[in-house]
Amino acid sequence: MKKFNLMFLAAASMAALAACSSGDEEASGGSGSEGSADVDEITAWAWDPAFNIAALENAKEAYNGDGDYEVNIIENAQDDIIQKLNTGLSSGTTNGMPNIVLIEDYRAQSFLQAYPDAFHPLTDVINAEDFADYKIATTSFEDEQYGLPFDSGVAALYVRTDYLEEAGYSVEDVTDITWQEYIEIGKDVKEATGKNMLTLDPNDLAQVRMMIQTNGSWYVEEDGSTPNIAGNETLEKGFETYKELMDADIAKIVSDWSQFVGAFNSGDVASVPTGNWITPSVKQAADQSGNWAVVPMPRLDMEGAVNASNLGGSSWYVLNVDGKEQAADFLLNTFGSNPELYQTLVEDIGALGTYSPAAEGDAYAVEDEFFGGQQLLSDLSTWTDEIPAVNYGLHTYAIEDILVTGMQDYLNGAELDTVLENVQGQAEAQLK
Amino acid sequence: MSQLGTKKAEVDLPVRTKYEESRRQKTGVFFKKKVGWLFVIISVIAITIFNFYPMVQAFLLSFQSGMGANLEYVGLDNWRRLFGDPTFIAALTNTTIYLLIQVPLMIILALFFSVLLNDPKLKFKSFFRIAIFLPCVTSLVAYSVVFKYLFGIDGIVNQFLLNFGFISETVNFLADPFWAKVVIILAITWRWTGYNMIFYLAALQNVDKSIYEAARIDGASSFQQFFQITVPMLKPIILFTSITSTIGTLQIFDEIVNITNGGPGNATISISQYIYNLSFEYSPDFGYASTVSYVIVILVVILSIIQFRVAGEKK
Repeated sequence: MKKFNLMFLAAASMAALAACSSGDEEASGGSGSEGSADVDEITAWAWDPAFNIAALENAKEAYNGDGDYEVNIIENAQDDIIQKLNTGLSSGTTNGMPNIVLIEDYRAQSFLQAYPDAFHPLTDVINAEDFADYKIATTSFEDEQYGLPFDSGVAALYVRTDYLEEAGYSVEDVTDITWQEYIEIGKDVKEATGKNMLTLDPNDLAQVRMMIQTNGSWYVEEDGSTPNIAGNETLEKGFETYKELMDADIAKIVSDWSQFVGAFNSGDVASVPTGNWITPSVKQAADQSGNWAVVPMPRLDMEGAVNASNLGGSSWYVLNVDGKEQAADFLLNTFGSNPELYQTLVEDIGALGTYSPAAEGDAYAVEDEFFGGQQLLSDLSTWTDEIPAVNYGLHTYAIEDILVTGMQDYLNGAELDTVLENVQGQAEAQLK
Repeated sequence: MSQLGTKKAEVDLPVRTKYEESRRQKTGVFFKKKVGWLFVIISVIAITIFNFYPMVQAFLLSFQSGMGANLEYVGLDNWRRLFGDPTFIAALTNTTIYLLIQVPLMIILALFFSVLLNDPKLKFKSFFRIAIFLPCVTSLVAYSVVFKYLFGIDGIVNQFLLNFGFISETVNFLADPFWAKVVIILAITWRWTGYNMIFYLAALQNVDKSIYEAARIDGASSFQQFFQITVPMLKPIILFTSITSTIGTLQIFDEIVNITNGGPGNATISISQYIYNLSFEYSPDFGYASTVSYVIVILVVILSIIQFRVAGEKK
């Protein structure tokens, strides 16, 4: 009786498994990405209805090629896109995968390396020279250009001119400065106005990331995978500067996005050093119009560091599935070669692209009353071109999670060298 | 059963024809078994495909490593890596702390509430029951976000403590390694106590009232009644709830991600969140991620065996 049960179960499972594996074969056979079948519908995934989804809608309108297909725009949360791509691509079936997908630059290399052949190279489709240098470094892999660079994450220092004035400073005084000068000004501002200079979130090292990119350094070496922590002078300087910011008592500590936005909307801080995508959030506080100015990001006090950095930003990728020709054609005739599209992107949604020819358009020269008549977009795109190119590599978030713990130790008094060596060891063990 | 059946058949054999005998065998015990299997076959196949097959695959995966689709067999490397991985050890420690503090706390509270609510003299009984059970119907994400704001630096808890003079300046609960854990434990306890209480209430309805009556007549105090009657009578349910709570706490994910996102540092990260990070947050390493998932499986098995041994009925 027992034996019979077991055998029956075994037989049933065998049948089930057999059914499963034969299904797999069929799926992988059927998804042949070789064929260039004519497709009359392509799908694009992005995540922000006010930003990149809106940009896609605009692109659809602006399309001036002669392809005959429908573009289906689907909104997914960014986390969902990452999960779906990972699970879909690693299972080997391409069912349900989009043709065009937006990927954050920090993650791009890991996708390109984890799933070779899953992406369709755009080397012959777009002209890489037309885009900001630093974007090309993050969107290409092994001599092939895979991504079409989209939004600029150029970092900038948003300052409250009225608070600065109260402390006896002008906008020129905060232009092209080092972080050390910034800290000194911050102390004076705090003394004069009682306001903190900036917000810091100890769980998010975005500030450090921006600092080290001003000197062309990153968490990993040029190869994109070897951790570059211990003995990385730029990172040491970044850590020291971060600690100085903390010790100077000019930072309001926040722990999430809404507290971060709340702090400058309510006038609690005198400056916001972050990516330019924060502009719409800064403008939310309409009563502060005219009291803001935007200046280049402070640099690390090191030889070779520049007043330009980056935070975030993403690019378009074409998946190697049926319809890739159409997808490449769509991207080429929109984001890849259409300066007018970038004018509407700037006017309608405030999305700053990295397509250099677009910067000469009229929309970029508009004076922004909120920022005291500054030609904000034109300034931002000038700074975009100066961002040092670094290879973000494969492990930005993995290393940062280890670094955050290291930063806590360092702030609590541990030796910097020991902390960074620890992080280096952990990262090497984890990222084999 | 089956043996009895065949014996009977042997006894009856002489008075039946051979034809009848063979027919009986076909339609008899064997046929009945077949019919039985037909009833369960759909679920057996479904469970095999959707549970056992993935389990076997995940187990095989736990011996592979590599980024995304470039997996290769690495033998026991993943398991070795596990023991030298400080993030995993932090996750394991945190999860164990949640388990050791939260599960007993919640079981005791649930038991306490259920006994109170079982009091026949209590008024507005269903109101209290609903009030305590209600947290269980809220979405995990929604209540986590509410807790996050309650304990935020300008949240209501800080305001309250400040106004009543318990603290002199606001405490950043979620940025402190100790308090962040406390907030997580409070949150899960609030969410799941009512759920377990319902099991105890249901079980208490089945306890014969005459036992308590007899105890009262014998002069047993309420405490004695609780420890000598209620707890032993509820033992199987306590065992059941503690096992399900243990499994639930070992898999804790939503609360951590939404309240602290594992921070500050790795002070609140749980094993499940680490699995998620390994698969989707970092460069995907599904092999190592499934090694870590198998740790949860092993832990659940070990803890359940211990709980059965300690509290279970002797066979």
